[in-house]
Amino acid sequence: MELIDKIKILADSAKYDVSCSSSGSDRKNKKGGLGNAAPSGICHSWTPDGRCISLLKVLFTNHCIYDCKYCVNRSSNDIPRASFTPEELVNLTINFYRRNYIEGLFLSSAVWVSPDYTMELLLKSVKKLREEVNFNGYIHLKAIPGANSALIEEAGKYVDRMSVNIELPSSESLKLLAPQKTKKSITEPMGLIKSKIIENQEERHRFKNAPYFVPGGQSTQLIIGASRDNDLKILRLSESLYKNYNLKRVYYSAYIPVSDHPSLPSISNPPLLREHRLYQADWLLRYYGFNSNEILDEKNPNFDELLDPKSDWALRNIDKFPVEVNKADYYMLLRVPGIGVKSAQRILQARKVSILDFDDLKKLGVVLKRAKYFITCKGRYFQDRNFVNNPPMIRNHLLLEDKIKINEDAEQLSFFQLYPQIMNPIEKISRITGEL
Amino acid sequence: MMLYYIYDGTFEGLLTAIYDAYYERENPELIVAMDNFTDNFLIQRRYIDTDEKKATKVHNGIINKISEDALTNIMYAYLSEHENAGKYILEYLRFGFKVGRLVDSYLSDDRVHNIHKLARKVSRERHLLLGIIRFRLLSNNIYYAPIDTQYNTACLLGDHFAARMADQIFVIHDVKRNYGVFYDKSKWFISDIDTKGNLDLHEKELFYQELWKKYFESTTIKDRLNPKLQSHFMPKRYWKYLVEMK
Ligand code: SF4
Repeated sequence: MELIDKIKILADSAKYDVSCSSSGSDRKNKKGGLGNAAPSGICHSWTPDGRCISLLKVLFTNHCIYDCKYCVNRSSNDIPRASFTPEELVNLTINFYRRNYIEGLFLSSAVWVSPDYTMELLLKSVKKLREEVNFNGYIHLKAIPGANSALIEEAGKYVDRMSVNIELPSSESLKLLAPQKTKKSITEPMGLIKSKIIENQEERHRFKNAPYFVPGGQSTQLIIGASRDNDLKILRLSESLYKNYNLKRVYYSAYIPVSDHPSLPSISNPPLLREHRLYQADWLLRYYGFNSNEILDEKNPNFDELLDPKSDWALRNIDKFPVEVNKADYYMLLRVPGIGVKSAQRILQARKVSILDFDDLKKLGVVLKRAKYFITCKGRYFQDRNFVNNPPMIRNHLLLEDKIKINEDAEQLSFFQLYPQIMNPIEKISRITGEL
Repeated sequence: MMLYYIYDGTFEGLLTAIYDAYYERENPELIVAMDNFTDNFLIQRRYIDTDEKKATKVHNGIINKISEDALTNIMYAYLSEHENAGKYILEYLRFGFKVGRLVDSYLSDDRVHNIHKLARKVSRERHLLLGIIRFRLLSNNIYYAPIDTQYNTACLLGDHFAARMADQIFVIHDVKRNYGVFYDKSKWFISDIDTKGNLDLHEKELFYQELWKKYFESTTIKDRLNPKLQSHFMPKRYWKYLVEMK
């Protein structure tokens, strides 16, 4: 088979893994070598669906012995199959890299012959890249669930990021849709990678030249809408992954129907808005100091379709407002709808030299559309103070202003927050603000 | 009459202009590069003689009395080639020499705001270019990347690509301003470009371009098409040299 046909097949079946981030690693180039990592990550192109291309994202093979119902590569599916050789992959990666098409390689795979057999091929490919052609660009490698832990550990020495995809948020849905996988086969490698990363960080702390082990951390992906798990369940899972496994990122992928198996929901459109709400809530967990119980609870286990999670929280906690912009601390500022990380940082910086008014806020780039209902400047409200203690009224106004936006942009918004960490520091912060 | 400062377009020239304005307590309406200057008779012109000593004094003064960040900020603002950049830089520095290293906290002050705005535009373009310049391999084994940028950002790319593509000879060619960033496997430098040079492609080049286009096409999710979002991140003006957009 020609290389170009392999690319077609193996890129096509890798694309539903939404992660493409190349951030978090500070790997340097070696003497006479090719490539390095940019800690903030770099996007190299954007596909017509609006996603950033940072890494060459392919499967090693799409031959699979498993039959996960939600997956295009399941063994019962009649599709063309292909496999790379390690040599082909190495050649492709460095030739794309030299032309500045990519930041590096994201190598994943279906399970061919056995988990160990597949993992060995992946290991061979990344080892070749590092040792034979002196490639020092970014590598993200998927750990194959069920593979021998010695192989996974060995592979970690060559790559910048590793991930084990959870895909289904609960054991029940795993049993229903991916009966050959177990929770254990997923959490075990995650635990292993976590402890090795911690060991390595301590080592590198003491010896600057100690070899790397997955310096960009690990991530995972959850599919949204293929099973019946509610938003609260998913959010709690993410929270515990951040806390217990030190994950860098949890990615959410709206389920795109690829099969009409009776255990799968019959939907015609991927649940993009729900995916977007999860990203917003995930953001609140990681950067805004929220915990999952503040965002959702047993009584309200699913997101408000119309309102973002932060505004929703603020309206339920109206007694904490208004916040005086010239006095509030960083974390309180972050709790104001419409004020994001960038705005909060700028407010703190500007406060060093002046007392801020609403006009100053505008110049700082703080968007008042949402924030105006929740703040005071020098003790004054932006407008009619009746709003302040009247959540239903504020809600109506927020919705009214959002209405046009939701209709127009529901789909657009969805990917907006996927790749914020790939922008440069100035940009990064401005991406973070936008929606929340 | 409005006073215009006219300098040679170099950064040293601009710093010299700042020096003169500062010490002669003049308030030029515009500090403009020779090439961008259009005359009219309401203008009183003053031509600045670029003077390395004066430029160095201003340079060191900024670092010692304000901050390194301030120097980076005005450098980036200068590279924006905005017609008011020179004037804004003068105002920013005057204010900076007064308030010292806290100058960048005055975010709502126009003298600071104007510079930050310009600097951010340049920094944003630089970051975008790090990702979207495309090298092509020529028959003489040089990797060549033509670029057509809004701001004068090419000179901010050298460090990045020299560290990254350490083992390949490359040229980044600013087609509009007609200069290049050259790297010879040991150091990078800026130089004019002889446009009559040989740009024949290496025999393997089109093969890899085809593979890349195929990859680009295959990695797109067709259920989620959103071309508006695509051009939001990657404005059309940069598509000219993108292999995958042709
Ligand atoms: S093991 Fe992976 S590739 Fe194979 S069917 Fe399951 S999800 Fe798909």
